[in-house]
Amino acid sequence: MIRRARPLLGTLVEIRADGASALGAIEDAFDEIAWVHRTMSFHERDSDVARINRALPGARVDVDAGTAELLALALEIANASDGLFDPTIAPVLVDAGLLPRPVRPRHDAADWRDIELVAPCTVRLRRALWIDLGGIAKGYAVDRAVESLQRSLVARGCVNAGGDLRVFGDLPETVHVRRADGTLARMIELADGAIATSAPFERDDRVDTNAEAPHVDGRTRRFVAEPRAVSVLAPRAAVADALTKVVLADPEKAAPVLARYGASSLIHEGIAPA
Amino acid sequence: MRWRVITPLGLLCAPAIHAAQFLTIEQAQRAAFPAAAEFAAVDVSSAPGIDASTQAWQARAGGRTLGYFFFDRAIGKTREIDYSVAIGADGAVLSVEILEYRESHGGEVRLESWRRQFVGKHASDPVELNRDIQNISGATLSCRHVTEGVKRLLTIHKSIARR
Repeated sequence: MIRRARPLLGTLVEIRADGASALGAIEDAFDEIAWVHRTMSFHERDSDVARINRALPGARVDVDAGTAELLALALEIANASDGLFDPTIAPVLVDAGLLPRPVRPRHDAADWRDIELVAPCTVRLRRALWIDLGGIAKGYAVDRAVESLQRSLVARGCVNAGGDLRVFGDLPETVHVRRADGTLARMIELADGAIATSAPFERDDRVDTNAEAPHVDGRTRRFVAEPRAVSVLAPRAAVADALTKVVLADPEKAAPVLARYGASSLIHEGIAPA
Repeated sequence: MRWRVITPLGLLCAPAIHAAQFLTIEQAQRAAFPAAAEFAAVDVSSAPGIDASTQAWQARAGGRTLGYFFFDRAIGKTREIDYSVAIGADGAVLSVEILEYRESHGGEVRLESWRRQFVGKHASDPVELNRDIQNISGATLSCRHVTEGVKRLLTIHKSIARR
């Protein structure tokens, strides 16, 4: 089993692959991740996301097929969750100073329903809005990397982007969930699937946690009032990632959405607020 | 997809460290410069921003310089991360590889205690990035430290490549 790690997606991404083609396959898989990083970045001026965020209502924005694929998934989950997951909550994060302000102002009432995919690779906005594909793009990068490894005929492996991970080929992976004091809260053994974990945390110098922004409820457009630690298991990492937001916003309403995607959630109880 | 929860009964039995070595320096050198016939150590002790753990080599073949290979250490959470940066003859980064890390990463999810930072905050409450809430840059400490290290090594490279 060959293992390599590189700084990408704001974390250290580790790829493991087994087989004769592993070295070259891992290189190609890292290229996929770097590509997603560049294309979906909220911060980079020429990323597809930034171009959408600058777009005038009614204007057609051509995007990469991968961006269109991810957007289509985001809109599908927004629809299935009745907006509990919504890729257009970026304004909440911008107003809170957690994301830089895009150049073009956005419409106050715009939400996911104002995004249209008018052609396979063309986006059109009904109203000006800002999308942030942050978490779901990380899961998507993991999925792209896994698919790349599989195309390279790697029989078993794992891609781990700071806790968003997907394992394939009948190689079980054990995820350790720890409390602040380092003790193990639980272990989850996973095979042929993905897991994404959203946890409330405080950033301080001792902690190397992946700094997603705090969670915004897509419908209330407010930070989630009752932060929980949640893991979602799903066949694909992008789906697992998006569904953590749904569970965090409303665990009860999330149940049918999880079922639709063949996903399960674990709420890590006993992690008491300080 | 198959999964199950294993709740550890003996918490003390579980390994706390999930360290990993991916590559030795020699392996990383060969991976970065497969055409190199030799790696000549370069004295970087006088370069600006140098660190005691930084080492540099010139990758050479047939009398030509193919580029430079750097070994450096960055801090993760509390332990060091060994990493390498390969820079080509044109001064561009060829690769960044993690050689070894000594603390838990990936496969590990740490649930820190939830402080007051976001509970009860609404979009209308002004949140000052640096004062009110710890710096959330979107990157882990490990990733940022390695990335900053790469930038520092690029500066060091400029000063030694000119010699």
